[in-house]
Formats: sequence, C-alpha cells, structure tokens
Amino acid sequence: MGKTRSYKAQKVVDLMKAKTKSRQIMLSLESCVKCGQCIDQCHYVLANPDDPTFAPPYKADKLRKFFKAHEDWTGKVIPWWVGARSIYTDEELEELKDVVFGKCTGCRRCSLVCPMGVDMATFNGMARNLLYSVGIMPEGVWAVAKDQWEIGNQMGVLKEDYLDTLEWMEEELQSKHNDPSIKIPIDKKGADIMYTINPREAKYDPRSIADAAEIFHFAGADWCMPSEGWDMTNFGLFVGDPSLGAAASSRLYTAAQELGVNKVVISECGHGYRSTKCEGPNWAKMDLDFPMESSVITMLDYIKQGKIKVDKSKNSEKVTYHDSCNFARSCGMTEEPREVLSLVCSDIQEMYPNRQWNYCCTGGGGAMSMSEYAPMRLKSAKIKAEQLRATGAKIVVTSCHNCVDGLTDLIKHYNLDMKVTQLVNLVANALVVPASKMPKVMKEVSMPLAGKKILVIDDEPDVRIFLTKIFKENGCEVFEAPDANQGMRIIRDKNPDLVSLDMILPHKTGEKLYWELRKDEKYKKLPVVIVSGYTKIDDPKIDFDAFLEDKGIPAPQGFVEKPIHPDVLIETISGVLLEKV
Amino acid sequence: MGNEINPLVEFAVHQLHWVLLFMGTVYAFKIRWILKHPAGKDRQAPTGEANQTSKSGAWYSLFSIAMPWTLNSYREKPMMYVQFVIFHICVAMSITMTIVFSYRPVWLSAPATIAVIQVIYAAGFIVGLYRLARRVFSPVMRMISSPDDYFSMALLVVWVGFSFLVIGQAPAFAVAIGQLDASQVASTQLNEIPLIAYYFLTAFFLIYVPFSKISHYIFYPFTRWHFGQTMGHRGIYPLKRIDKMKAR
Ligand code: SF4
Ligand code: SF4
Repeated sequence: MGKTRSYKAQKVVDLMKAKTKSRQIMLSLESCVKCGQCIDQCHYVLANPDDPTFAPPYKADKLRKFFKAHEDWTGKVIPWWVGARSIYTDEELEELKDVVFGKCTGCRRCSLVCPMGVDMATFNGMARNLLYSVGIMPEGVWAVAKDQWEIGNQMGVLKEDYLDTLEWMEEELQSKHNDPSIKIPIDKKGADIMYTINPREAKYDPRSIADAAEIFHFAGADWCMPSEGWDMTNFGLFVGDPSLGAAASSRLYTAAQELGVNKVVISECGHGYRSTKCEGPNWAKMDLDFPMESSVITMLDYIKQGKIKVDKSKNSEKVTYHDSCNFARSCGMTEEPREVLSLVCSDIQEMYPNRQWNYCCTGGGGAMSMSEYAPMRLKSAKIKAEQLRATGAKIVVTSCHNCVDGLTDLIKHYNLDMKVTQLVNLVANALVVPASKMPKVMKEVSMPLAGKKILVIDDEPDVRIFLTKIFKENGCEVFEAPDANQGMRIIRDKNPDLVSLDMILPHKTGEKLYWELRKDEKYKKLPVVIVSGYTKIDDPKIDFDAFLEDKGIPAPQGFVEKPIHPDVLIETISGVLLEKV
Repeated sequence: MGNEINPLVEFAVHQLHWVLLFMGTVYAFKIRWILKHPAGKDRQAPTGEANQTSKSGAWYSLFSIAMPWTLNSYREKPMMYVQFVIFHICVAMSITMTIVFSYRPVWLSAPATIAVIQVIYAAGFIVGLYRLARRVFSPVMRMISSPDDYFSMALLVVWVGFSFLVIGQAPAFAVAIGQLDASQVASTQLNEIPLIAYYFLTAFFLIYVPFSKISHYIFYPFTRWHFGQTMGHRGIYPLKRIDKMKAR
C-alpha cells in the first residue's frame, strides 16, 4: 500500500507538476551535478561554515528530491539511488518553508557561479509559491502579500495617507526653497514621466520622495505621481506568485496607460525595479508600449545633460556602494549607480567583492518581513558586516529600499560606525540650486524633546528605523528593542523617559508588557505611548480598552496609529513628556 | 579479424555499436522530453549595452565554462578549475578512445601517442580519486550526494584506470584485427583479461550513463543557453567590468 499524503502535500505535488512544465525550471532542477562550486558563494554558508544545511545544493535538494520522485526517469524507478523522495506530511512542508523562506534570500550569487547554469533563485521562488498556495509561509509574508492584494501596496498605505504624505512633502519643499511653485503633481495627464515609489517611502522615508521631487523640479521635468498604481514593489516576486505579481504590476501599467505618460521612472529599489521592469510584463502578460527606467538612469541623464548642477564637495564623507542583488545580479545595473556616485560624492571607497559578485545585504527575498528568521539572518550578516567594515566608509549607499533596511539592521547589530543612504538623497544634497531660487528665510528649528530618552519597542525593523530617525531628528536619545523582554531589560538598564510600545510583538504582547509595567511600583508612572496599527477591527482579540478595564489599570499616556505621521507622533510625545515636566 | 583474438573480446567489440545506439536512443528521448517543456518568453524590453542581447548572452553563457575568470568560484580557487578541466578532458578522451581503440586501433600505434594519452588518463585518474575522496570526506559534499553520485564517480575512476591499462595494447590489437603488420609493433601479445574487463565495463558504462548524473552534458547546453538568454536580454551577460569586481 502506498504511503498516504496529507491534503496540502497532495496539492503541492499537483502544483509542482504544473509548475515544472516550464523548461527553465525543469532544467535547473535536473541539471545539478553536486559539484559543490556554489557552496561557499552563499553568505549563509560563509557565516555558518560548520552547518552544511545552508549549502545551496542541499537547500535545492529539498525541492529537487521531490521533483525527481515525480518527474525524473530514474527517480521514479529507483528513487533511493538518485536521492529522490516525495513529500507526504505537513511537517515536511514546514521544513521546506524554513529552507526556502528562512535560508535563502534568492540573491542568485550561487547561480552566477554554477558551471551548469542552475538558477537557484528561480526555483526557490517556485518552491515558495507552492507553499504559499497552501497557506504555508512566514506570518509576515502573509501580512504583506495580503496588503498588496487588498490595499494595492505592500505596506497597506491608504490612498489618503499616501496623498497626505505627498502634500506634506510638497509643503516642506515649498518652505525649504520659499517657493510655492514647487509641486508634486498628481495624476497629470500626458506628463512626460510617471514616478513610482516603494511604499516604504510613503510610510517611513518621505524624505526620499521630497528629494526626488526636488531633483525633478530643478531639472525642469514634466512629471507626476499617480494616485493609484504608484507602488512599484511586488511581493509576487518574494512569494513566487505570478498572480499576485500580475495584479500588482498591471495596476501600475494601467495607471501609466491611463495617464498617457511617455515613460515610467522607478525609484531606487532592487526588487521593485526587477518586478516592474523585468518580471511584471511576463506576469501580467502585457506587451507595454512605454519605456521604464530606474531613477538612477534619470538622475544620471539629468546631471550629464546639465539639467541639474551638482557639487560633489557637499557629500564629503567617505562612501561605499552596496550592489543590491536584484539590481546588479538580476538586472545588470552596476555601472550607472557608480557613475552617479562619482559625480555627487568626493570620497568613494569600492567594496570587495563588488558588482555582480557583491554579497547580499541579507535582507533580500522579503527576509525583513520574516521576524522568526531574524536571528539567523543577522548571524549570516556577519560576512556583509566584515565587508562593510573593511571599506572604512562612513556611509554605505545602495539603490534599494530592502537593502537600506537590511543594512541598517546589520550595522546596528554589528556596531558599525556607518549609516545607510540612497543615491537620491546624495544627489538632492549635492544639488546646486540656482541663485534665483535660493530660500530667503531659513526655517527656525526648535527641539522641545532634546535630551529625552525614548525606548522604541517594535518587532518591525522598518518601524524601529523610522521612529528612531524621527526621535533623533528631534534631539532624543533612542534605544530600540524588537520584543517585550528586551524592552524590559532596557527599561531597567537605561531608565528611559518614555516608551513607544507596539501592541503586536513576538513571544509577549505589548498589552502584557504594559500591564507588567503598571503593576511594578518602580515603573507604574513611566509614560507609555502605544504606537500600533492594530485595532479590534483588525483583530477582535485585541480589545485594549476591555483589557485595561479587566485589569483595572489606567490607560497609557498616548496613542499613535500606524501609518505614523511624524508631526502627530512628535506632537503626542511632546504633549506627554512636556506635560510630565 | 586475426585468429589470436579472444571470442569474448570479439563479441564485445561487435556489440559496441549496439550499446552506442542504445545510449543515443535514450539521449534522443531525453532531448525530446526536454523540448516538450515549453521555454518561457521574456516580454521585458531589452536592457543593457549594445553587445548584451539574448543571443550574445546565450553564447557567452554556453562558453563561460571556458572562461574561468567569469566564474567567481573558479577565480577564487583556480586549482578547482585545473582539476575540472583535466577530469573532463580525460573522460571525453576515454569515450573517444573506446571507439578509436575498437575500430581504428592503428591510429594509436605510435608509442608517443600512447604515452600522451596515458599521461592524461593518469592525471584524470588521480583527479577522479581526489573528487571521490572529497565527496566521501567533506561533510557538506556527503550531505548533498546520493548513491548515484558516488557510484558514477567510482565507475568513472575505475573505467579511466582500465582505459590506462588497455590503451597500451592498441598496437597489438591493431595487429590482431589486421590493421597493422606484426613486424611493425614491438609486441603482438594481447593481455586479454584487462581487455575483456575493459569492454564489459565500457558497455555497462555506456548503458548506465543516460540514467545517471553523468548524463548532465545533455542538459548542459540547454540549461546554460536559456540562463544566458535571460541574462543577456536583461543586460547582465556578457558581464561588464570583470576586472574591477575582485581586484584589490
Ligand atoms: S554549482 Fe551548480 S551544479 Fe554544482 S552543486 Fe551548485 S548548483 Fe549544483
Ligand atoms: S540564492 Fe543566494 S541565499 Fe540562496 S542559496 Fe544561492 S547564494 Fe545562498
């Protein structure tokens, strides 16, 4: 009697048979000769030399075994001889999940050295899709994919928040240059350029939007941003799902077609660029009649054509350039960013290895949304950290938002004296504004929170980075914790003036920590501001009011809802701290 | 054929073309199977420099194995490349020599030719042993290896060993099958045991190969071609500025 297979395993087997009809995928699965050439090209292997389970062919074999059991001639007849084995249980699917999501960022470094041309990244994506199809994936991946399906962008930024952010950035620019003619045009029909961004910019890094707008403005570009279809990222790439890929990319293509723009410019993002320019037309099965280019090319053209003037002495700190895997290895963008860098920075140190052989930032493949694998990710980041440290640079530049987060996280973890930025920020900083457009009045900056100690407890690295940046800009000393236990330790050690607390945390919830603080004689008066996107509408289990009532404890000093508006945040925090004073 | 030849050897030589035909037929089916899988189309607009097209990328990819400087792993470990080349030359030569030895042994009558071939066999044999040892003793290689991986490698090493032993008999064999006059060779004595073993091993090898990992060379051109097409179309292949990638 044959072995029984769980419902999910059977579904995965059926789907696998359909997926491996593609010649490219089938060949990658069939061709490995186990020569081992790719093994020490993988950053996971280099950082974990004693653990052979990180080796690319070992990871690939988790899927290859089961492909062979169903499709390969010898594998079907004498499976044990060629290491073929089908998949039967949900536990095996979970194991496969840990490999394809947790142990491979799909960086393609191994593919580029494989003498056979085995494309690990492509079939790792396929394996992710098989699991995704039966609901097996890291929780964070599910949340992001859901947002992209439902809301139309992977960070769940609502249309009104996005438009608010654009308006806010427009006002900032106008006040910076004392020039009300500076605009961020929205939905301008027939514009030359439609500029598309990563939702991370709208949510956590609006400064990048302002910088791009500044560049477009001073270059005299006829441009706009769409009110729909503005997200150029695509989680379809990370879950290997062509349907999600098609849904997300066609939204953007349709926006471009409806506006009748001449070209789409994609802001600096490795996977966004690859998804929108390379994979999107395949997923959406659309032959597009407008070109798409990276903003790196646009900026380079503006500088070369003299449309904007830059002064490289304005960026005088030593910089190095990190190649995003998707941008460099999967799209060949290695020289253009370096050319821009050489035009806007005066002290550049190349990192080694570089270009197509650079190491992954370790946050690729959607890894930043998989908090359960964060310790493994950060351990594997050792290689990247050493590579960065060896440059002696103070700034690492990258053309990818994912890499910004991945690098920021590892820089902090390995205590590197470095910060991360993008070309758009450096170009904007190096801009030489024509004298006629110089700001007349410098805005006075006051820092009511200067010197305050704030602890940010949030499991999402993106959010921590964003909050830290805002608090630091307002003169605070900031501590970060990814979970409640670490948060409690920092409270004891550092005695912060205020805690910014997320509700949904791994292991112990924010609610529970809040309750513990209020029970503790020493901390019961410690100001806490809840910064969370979850309400009882999202999840009925989270009824914080009922919880407070049930425990008989007072409400926290403040609430700030995600997506976070910096003004609201600072207003709330100032209110709490200054009132306390 | 001459009278001195062992009937078993004679039998084996006569069956060789059937074995080769069998191998060719299985390969034909394999190629048909590969082609039955539709190749995906890349709709994105071509990107990159003028010399980076899907065709140039495909050719570049196909021959990148002959350009070790384009493969980071071989740049970092040149000795791995050297042994890779030796081993593959040796195996390709063994297969060719099976046919030459059986049908035109007269071509192998010069002692210098035999000496060169034997040097290559010896080098290939040593590399093969090293590769087998690496597979057995390295924990990571052990973890990724199946019985077929060990067996294929061991089979190749033994076969190359026998090829080494047998190739020296080419002049005597040429005399035995009437391609050469006995007066033209130093010895007409055939050492039949290794010869019989060699032929049966060769027959087994040729029948086994299409079902083992050794058949990877059938996949090689397809896999590299398609990979290169995509990489060329997207402006990655041929790689730019390789000189700048690693040099310090
Ligand atoms: S380099 Fe290629 S053929 Fe060799 S083990 Fe890695 S994937 Fe397999
Ligand atoms: S694609 Fe990158 S992370 Fe995945 S196995 Fe290959 S080298 Fe490692």
